[in-house]
Amino acid sequence: MKFRETVNSGKFVITVEVAPPRGTDYREVISALEPLKGKVDAFNVTDCQRSMVRMSALSMAKLLLDSGYEPVLQMTCRDRNRIALQSELLGAWALGVENLCLMTGDFTTLGDQPDSKPVFDLDSVQLIELARTLNSGKLLNGKELNGKPSFFIGAVHNPFAGPELLQTLKLKKKIEAGARFIQTQPVYELQVAREVHELISSLGAVPLIGLLPIKSLKMANFMKKLNPTSVPSSLVEGLEKASNPALYGWEYTLDLARGVSEFGSGVHFMLVGRVKELADFIDELRNNKGEGN
Amino acid sequence: MVTVKLKPMVEILELLKPYERVFVIGCQLGSGRCKNGGLREAFKVAGYLELHGFKITGVKSPGGTCILERIDAPEKSLIKEAESSSDAILSLACGAGTQLIAENVSIPVITGVNTLFIGVERERKYFDEYCIACGDCVISETGGICPVARCPKSLINGPCGGAIAGKCEVDPSIPCIWYKIESRLKELGSLKSVEKRAPLKDYRSCVYPRRLVLEE
Ligand code: SF4
Ligand code: SF4
Repeated sequence: MKFRETVNSGKFVITVEVAPPRGTDYREVISALEPLKGKVDAFNVTDCQRSMVRMSALSMAKLLLDSGYEPVLQMTCRDRNRIALQSELLGAWALGVENLCLMTGDFTTLGDQPDSKPVFDLDSVQLIELARTLNSGKLLNGKELNGKPSFFIGAVHNPFAGPELLQTLKLKKKIEAGARFIQTQPVYELQVAREVHELISSLGAVPLIGLLPIKSLKMANFMKKLNPTSVPSSLVEGLEKASNPALYGWEYTLDLARGVSEFGSGVHFMLVGRVKELADFIDELRNNKGEGN
Repeated sequence: MVTVKLKPMVEILELLKPYERVFVIGCQLGSGRCKNGGLREAFKVAGYLELHGFKITGVKSPGGTCILERIDAPEKSLIKEAESSSDAILSLACGAGTQLIAENVSIPVITGVNTLFIGVERERKYFDEYCIACGDCVISETGGICPVARCPKSLINGPCGGAIAGKCEVDPSIPCIWYKIESRLKELGSLKSVEKRAPLKDYRSCVYPRRLVLEE
């Protein structure tokens, strides 16, 4: 089943993030995904995440396609103006990339090329609108396309960001502009997952709860720096006590995923070292839900 | 006002190396107001240059170096005086004022400042960028607070996902401007004004160089 059909069918969705390599050698990145083949619904390819230079997300998405993995192409507003965005999206469709996850993007100065010129011609809402315009067979300037795409469009939401009213308003604008699924920033509490699930569903999109296994106390502190309210003290205490913090963080994430699967629409794993374990876990989850692949 | 920052003295000395007689021109508007290129700084720099063996031919700081008639009045022209007595002019006016001097004299004009931004002043100490002169002002919709200049990403549809606890992801020492916009709009009871999706910005309004011509 294609990703868009899975999302629309109401089946529990599982996606996994893939970072393109820093360099030209992509083979290892792809072969590492082997255990997940046929189990994960789509692989979300990041677009120079954290403003660090990597191989282009579109190239990586095409390489995934060629190896039999369905990609979701992430695209940010950081590096391209509207001319480049439209042209890149048309190319993506022609290469067989059907799913998009559109966002503003991290700022340039936070990455490894802090001296580069930030673009931000559009924002995330406008980029979603742009993709929908292409879907309608037109360019932003109203000119007819010779062959049009039919993208399945998604976006992102951070339940920990503020100010609350305007964050919710922006989420609403994204969904009204054409986002059908919303991937969240990493969540570490079932209650938060439930609330953000309800918010996104009530606005008319399918929520995919972001999950990022914490491997160490250091990483927990880093996550706390990004989103101070996202990491509960019980998780930090557990990591402190654990003889193997990485395993503790991993099992914590799987428990959360089990919890989300009771009420949720799907989860998005944002970092995986334990591909084999994840594959087994997905089998377990699907069996419990009677959705064996 | 336009704010400037004085360049390091070593850089100024290096730039002036080929010359002997130097005339220093500041500006009492922006540069003077932000204490980085007014009369006081012009004298300070001149004193420093003298210590390093330069001959100072004059120090002046008009009230608006970017206004041609202030620096080149027919009866008493500051720049003609500077030109006739010096090998070079050191300008502490903003980039605009400095260019206006340069295009009206035949000797080299060196800048002693970096021009920073259009901003506001508080407590005679804090200067903050408030406007990037985008040419298509949106602040009537955003509670009179500019997200184009005061959000590093110039987001006009609302905050990004990096806005945490009131701080900006780009620089936690500055507030995320969308928090201010939200509380202001709540106060005014006009949150409605940001409910609609903002149209794409038309960047033709800020293709430089721009020109304003007054009708007769
Ligand atoms: S919207 Fe444009 S013109 Fe208006 S204050 Fe902001 S930058 Fe200046
Ligand atoms: S945190 Fe706020 S001010 Fe900073 S980039 Fe995001 S929206 Fe703009």
